[in-house]
Formats: sequence, C-alpha cells, structure tokens
Amino acid sequence: MKKRRCFYLTAVVVMTLMSICCWRLPVAAQENMTSVDNGDFGRPERTPSIFRHDAHNEKAKIDACNTCHHVYKDGKLVDNESSEDRRCADCHDLKAVGKTPSLRRAFHLRCVGCHEKIGRGPIMCGECHKK
Amino acid sequence: MDALYRFLSGPLAWVSFVVFIAGSLYRLLSMGFLVRRKEKFIFSVMSWKYSFRSIFHWITPFASVNMRRHPVMTITTFAFHICLFLTPIFLLAHGVLWDDAFNIHLWALPNGLADIMTLVVIAGGVFFLCRRMKLAEVRYLTTLSDYLLLIMVAAPFLTGFIAYHQWIDYRFFMTLHVLTGEIMLMAIPFTRLSHMLFAPFTRAYMGSEFGSVRHARDW
Ligand code: HEC
Ligand code: HEC
Ligand code: HEC
Ligand code: HEC
Repeated sequence: MKKRRCFYLTAVVVMTLMSICCWRLPVAAQENMTSVDNGDFGRPERTPSIFRHDAHNEKAKIDACNTCHHVYKDGKLVDNESSEDRRCADCHDLKAVGKTPSLRRAFHLRCVGCHEKIGRGPIMCGECHKK
Repeated sequence: MDALYRFLSGPLAWVSFVVFIAGSLYRLLSMGFLVRRKEKFIFSVMSWKYSFRSIFHWITPFASVNMRRHPVMTITTFAFHICLFLTPIFLLAHGVLWDDAFNIHLWALPNGLADIMTLVVIAGGVFFLCRRMKLAEVRYLTTLSDYLLLIMVAAPFLTGFIAYHQWIDYRFFMTLHVLTGEIMLMAIPFTRLSHMLFAPFTRAYMGSEFGSVRHARDW
C-alpha cells in the first residue's frame, strides 16, 4: 500500500515537472540559446556555431523574426508570416531538394551571407565554429 | 584584418584562379608552338603506347631503377606529391566553400586524414630542405629560388594546419593561409612548379623516344 502511494506521488511529481519543462522550454529557449544545435548533421564535422539568439538579434538590430524563420508558399516568400515554431531542419534536408538548399548551405547562406553583405559579423569558419 | 580577408577571399580568389588557368594554358600552348616551330620531328616520334607506358611506370612507386636505388627519397616524393595534390582539392572546408558559393558538391576527406596528409606535406618539405642543405651533389645545384619555392609550397599547408586547429591567432593565420594559397596557385604556371603541367608531356616524349626510336626502356 505504502509502496503504491509512493509510486503515484513520484509519477505525479515527474509528470508535473515534465509538463512545466515542455511548457517553459520554447519560450525560454531562444533567450538562453548560445549556439545553433548541430544534432541534425548526424556526425558533425565542426563545433556548433556560436549564436546568442536574442543578444545577437538585438545587437544586429534585426526586428523581423522571418529574416531567418521564413515561410514559403508556392515557391514564394511570405512577407508577414514566420516559422519560429519550426526547426530549419524541418524543411531543409542534408541534401538540397529542388530550390531548397541543403541544411548546411541554408545556414551558411543566411548567416555568413548577411555578415558578408553588410560587412559586420564573423565570416571565417573558426569564428563561428570555435574550438 | 576583416577587410583584407574579404579582399583575399573575394576578388583575389577570382584573380588567382584566372591567372592559374589562363597562365597554364598560355604556357602549354606556347610550349606546343615552340616545339612545332623548332623541333617538329618530335611529333613523328610520339606514340600513345610508349607515352602511357612510360607515364604509368613513373607514377608507380619503385618501378624505375633510380627509385629502387633511393628508397627513402622515393617514398617521400610519392607521399609528398600525392598529399600535396589531393589535400587541397578534397579538404572538407574547401568543399564547403564550393558548396556555399556555387552549389557544387565535392567528396571530402575525413578531417583526421586530411590533418595527417597536411603533416606529410610539411614533413616532406622539411625533408627536401634538409636534403638540399646536406647532400653536396644537390647543394651544388641549389639556388635561392629553390628555397623560396619550398617555402611557397609549404606555407599554405603550415598556415592551414595552424588555422584549422585555431592555434595562436586564428584570424591572422586564416588570412595568411588564403594569401599564401593564392600566391602558390598563381605561381604554378610561371615558376618551376610548372613541372606539374609539363611532367606528363616530358614523360610521354621520353617514353616515346626510348620506345620507338631507341627501342629501349626509359626506367
Ligand atoms: C538571425 C537569424 C534569426 C532571427 C532574426 C530570429 N531567429 Fe529564432 N532562431 C534562429 C535559429 C538559427 C534558431 C535555431 C533553429 C534550429 O535549430 O533549427 C532559432 C530558434 C528559435 C526558437 C526555438 C528555440 C529552440 O531552442 O527550440 C524560437 C522560439 C525562436 N527562434 C524565436 C524567434 C523569434 C520570436 C524571433 C523574432 C523576434 C526570432 N527567433 C528571430 C535564428 C533567428
Ligand atoms: C517551413 C519550411 C522552412 C523553414 C522552417 C525554413 N526554411 Fe529555409 N527555405 C524553405 C524553402 C521552401 C526554401 C526554397 C525557396 C525557393 O523556392 O527559392 C528555402 C530557402 C532558404 C534559403 C535560400 C533562399 C533565401 O531565402 O536566401 C535559405 C538561406 C534558407 N532557406 C535558410 C533557412 C534557415 C536558416 C532556416 C531556419 C532558421 C530556415 N531556412 C527555415 C523552407 C523553410
Ligand atoms: C540580417 C543580418 C544577419 C543575419 C541573418 C545573421 N547575422 Fe550574425 N551578425 C550580424 C551583425 C550585424 C553582427 C555584428 C553585431 C555587432 O555589432 O557586434 C553579427 C554578429 C554575429 C556574431 C558575433 C557576435 C557574437 O554574438 O558573438 C556571431 C557569432 C554571429 N553573428 C552568428 C550568426 C549566425 C550563426 C547566424 C545564422 C543563424 C547569423 N549570425 C545571422 C548580422 C546578421
Ligand atoms: C556566421 C557563422 C558561420 C561561419 C562563418 C561558418 N559557419 Fe559553418 N555553420 C554555421 C551554422 C549556424 C551551422 C549549422 C549547425 C551548427 O551549429 O554547426 C553550420 C554548419 C556547418 C557544417 C555542418 C555541420 C557539421 O559540423 O558538420 C560544416 C561542416 C560547417 N558549418 C563548416 C564551415 C566551414 C568550413 C566554414 C568556413 C568556410 C564555416 N562553416 C563558416 C555557421 C557558420
């Protein structure tokens, strides 16, 4: 009897904790994000790229979330929608598909592309993939 | 440093590839015309069979008497040239640049292997340097340009190695790596590095002359 009550209590506590985590995570995640997760690459060749999400966007003065979290419909970029509820890897595979660039290329085009274009932010491999 | 790196990895990268390709074509064509004007008979000697027989022999380790006579030199030369050629072409980071810039996909060497191959090139460079300084018969033929050439070839590998491991000052070595690599590329057609372009032809000529005129082997 005592054992069973113990089990239920533990189960309730664990489940409460888990739901709090799940509910908190997406909200807190980008604030605390310090690098881009490279888990989708199978066996990554480099260290994960530095990226302090909120600090970066504040410093770089990027207001529109869809500068990065973009949405395409029928091959056209949708101006007023964004996709921060999805991972880049949800739409970008390890290999390019049609006009959709591969995951690695998508990151590099977006990140290095902007830095090169506006002349600020790192462009050398090891500045992002720091050892 | 950023502005310099941008310049080196942007405009100068284009310049160095154009200089390398156009320079190589120019050297090969002008040599071809020179031969046609001065030593036309060479063309009558040339034979596909003996050309490839000779080339095949000379790219096979220990297939010539001279190679067997100098085993250390042979192993070093082969390892050096193979790594010198393959590492820059199939390095992952270079493949990433091709992919990012032109959507061109190249097969890539594993990082660890590329690291070892880079060290082989550097070690080979040190070996050739010591050989030049130590062996009397080689030192006798050595001029300053030989040392400069060795440094020019080893520099992109040394700086690339240091940059990859992000030792000392990463941005400095990265910039130096791009610069030294471009210098080497542009120097290929116009220095003795051009043996990269001419070697197959000189070998084919030697093979043909020995095969079809002297009826002898050239190895
Ligand atoms: C400079 C590009 C960029 C901008 C601008 C940007 N983000 Fe992100 N964000 C990213 C990247 C990269 C990730 C990681 C995506 C991945 O791993 O697939 C990310 C992840 C997220 C995540 C998920 C965090 C996680 O760990 O799962 C949220 C939520 C998010 N961003 C919200 C926003 C919001 C809201 C804005 C606008 C205020 C915004 N982002 C603007 C690049 C950007
Ligand atoms: C909802 C699906 C989706 C998500 C999520 C997504 N993309 Fe894309 N992305 C696409 C599609 C589709 C294209 C191809 C567009 C075309 O047809 O030209 C594309 C194209 C691109 C391009 C090349 C065109 C351009 O806009 O410069 C880059 C770079 C890119 N994505 C980066 C990213 C990054 C980085 C993320 C994550 C922060 C991301 N994408 C998330 C669907 C998505
Ligand atoms: C729209 C332009 C833009 C995009 C897109 C962008 N950046 Fe940046 N980034 C900047 C600017 C501007 C700075 C310089 C900020 C400053 O003044 O320090 C910067 C700085 C950085 C820095 C150095 C500062 C730091 O936080 O340590 C890193 C690292 C970085 N970016 C990574 C990324 C990554 C990774 C991505 C892609 C997920 C990305 N950036 C996408 C504009 C951009
Ligand atoms: C502006 C920052 C930035 C720069 C500069 C940059 N990358 Fe990346 N790179 C990223 C991001 C973001 C990803 C996505 C996954 C991650 O975090 O590593 C990525 C992914 C990769 C991947 C696939 C994941 C892996 O580790 O196998 C490779 C390989 C890679 N980069 C190599 C390079 C090389 C080589 C260079 C220089 C030619 C370079 N990167 C320059 C930001 C950068």
